[in-house]
Amino acid sequence: MSELKYYIKLYFTNMSRSMIARMEFRNDFIIGIFGFFIQNVAALLSLYFIIRNIPNLNGWNMYQMGFLYGFTMMPIAVDHLLTDELWRLAYFRVKRGDLDNYFLRPVPVLFQVLSETFQPEAFGELIVGAVMLIMCGIKCHINWTVSKVIVILVATFFGAFIVTAIKILTASPAFIIKRSGFIMQVFYNFRDYTRYPIGIYPKAIRILLIALVPFGLIISLPVENVMFENYNGLVLCIAIIAAAVVSMTIACFVWTACAKRYESTGS
Amino acid sequence: MIEINNLTKEFRKPVREQGVKGMFKTLFSKKYESKFAVNNVNFTINDGEIVGYIGSNGAGKSTTIKMMCGILSPTSGSVKIEGVEPYNNRMKVAGKIGVVFGQKTQLWWDIPLIESFKVLKQIYRVSDDDYKERMDFLSKTLGLDEFLTQPVRTLSLGQRMRADLAASWLHNPKILFLDEPTIGLDVWVKEKIRKAIKVMNEKYNTTVILTTHDMQDIENLCSRIIMIEKGEIIYDGAIEDIKHHFGNIRTIVLTLKEKPDEKKLNTFNNKASYEWKDEKLYIKFDADELEVKNVVNYAFGELNAQDMQISEINIEDVVKSIMAGNEVIE
Repeated sequence: MSELKYYIKLYFTNMSRSMIARMEFRNDFIIGIFGFFIQNVAALLSLYFIIRNIPNLNGWNMYQMGFLYGFTMMPIAVDHLLTDELWRLAYFRVKRGDLDNYFLRPVPVLFQVLSETFQPEAFGELIVGAVMLIMCGIKCHINWTVSKVIVILVATFFGAFIVTAIKILTASPAFIIKRSGFIMQVFYNFRDYTRYPIGIYPKAIRILLIALVPFGLIISLPVENVMFENYNGLVLCIAIIAAAVVSMTIACFVWTACAKRYESTGS
Repeated sequence: MIEINNLTKEFRKPVREQGVKGMFKTLFSKKYESKFAVNNVNFTINDGEIVGYIGSNGAGKSTTIKMMCGILSPTSGSVKIEGVEPYNNRMKVAGKIGVVFGQKTQLWWDIPLIESFKVLKQIYRVSDDDYKERMDFLSKTLGLDEFLTQPVRTLSLGQRMRADLAASWLHNPKILFLDEPTIGLDVWVKEKIRKAIKVMNEKYNTTVILTTHDMQDIENLCSRIIMIEKGEIIYDGAIEDIKHHFGNIRTIVLTLKEKPDEKKLNTFNNKASYEWKDEKLYIKFDADELEVKNVVNYAFGELNAQDMQISEINIEDVVKSIMAGNEVIE
């Protein structure tokens, strides 16, 4: 228990440390948020122009599509908020050999990496996502039930776990091949598929998205459940939680095995 | 206590050929070349020792240190810190050691120094009382107060190094690894750092392993040196022994009006040797066999010297000659 308290306290200390560092560069921070808004407004506009001409995609109307788009941001925003350091690690930190400090301290390396940066820009994603969910949700006349809300919450938070697990799994090879950012990027980009109804894809891709790189499981299926009530909410929740536990366990295992191969650099 | 047994680290790299064509060849070739950065190294370091670990660039010093603190795993052999292997039981050992890599920093770049210390205090579970006592000691010996509130990236090299030493010692580790802690520093800062290391060792019985290219560090701090060259230990013993082995050699350098006739010089029955270099006369002799007074009298009397310098053998010369392989010990 005191061990758990130690880690929770340390986690929050690291968060505030990261915030202090961010505030040192206020302009950078503001530009970051601004850049994010422009990026998403542009993406939304292009989506709007496409959908305007196709009023109906596989049975989904414009507002339902908007709701789906909004929800693709939620689990990813939570992950982005907390674990952004994995990107830097995979792209250049292992290569530069500047992880030595993590290996010197009496705290698990993965814990230190995950608590290294707190990325407040992600609040922008959460807000944009939430606004879209609310606005489009109202236009869709969704019949909200407790079960649907629970599925959405489980999908957001345990979904974030799964996204993090995917990032850990794809960052781990960096310890062996020095740089694995591109691998991470490839898998991370699978989320783009889920911006459109999963029904439009061939079966192979659907299976891939649900079972292997489960962005479909944490985004497409919960949204379909909200719109069309074609799944059992409880089963969906259990599936997502199970996938989160399994993928995170595998990720930690792979990480530990790979981190042993860390080579540092000469000095 | 640190025990090192048959420690070996091999790095395997694909054989690279030059140029774009060579790059493509490398991509599909299975040829590897292996380099033994550390090769079959053995030594034991007891509690409370200050050991100088020296060798030329690329001799394997840093690799050994990295294996001792758990960053690298050895290819074969073992390191035991208090009976535990650091690369297999990283977390257990981490609390007992402190590390400074002169070339890198363990402090957080963008936050004020004092915040870094507070995070480290928490990581190493240092109690409030201990923290206060140690911070008092560290600020006093290392003079941290003047830059405690500045972000680390704004510190000068000397300030950063002092901060790094303080950070590595905040949890009062039993063993302190210092990898070139005085690199690039001015004399004043070097002196401060040496003094702090000395107090840590004397007052808190901290074991110190120090790599450096600065012989002044070695002579001031270490009682024992271990010398490594091309991954192998070439000397391990007390500094006094090494000096003793080379004898009590003195060199007297004379400034003369003109070059003397070498045949006429008094060699004191072949106990002194002469060399004329850079318009100066070098007289070399063993002070145990020949009294310094006699040579000095001779220099001013017969040779009519205008100026004179006497120097003892210093460890740097010894190291140089051992490294060059001129002198084999035992």
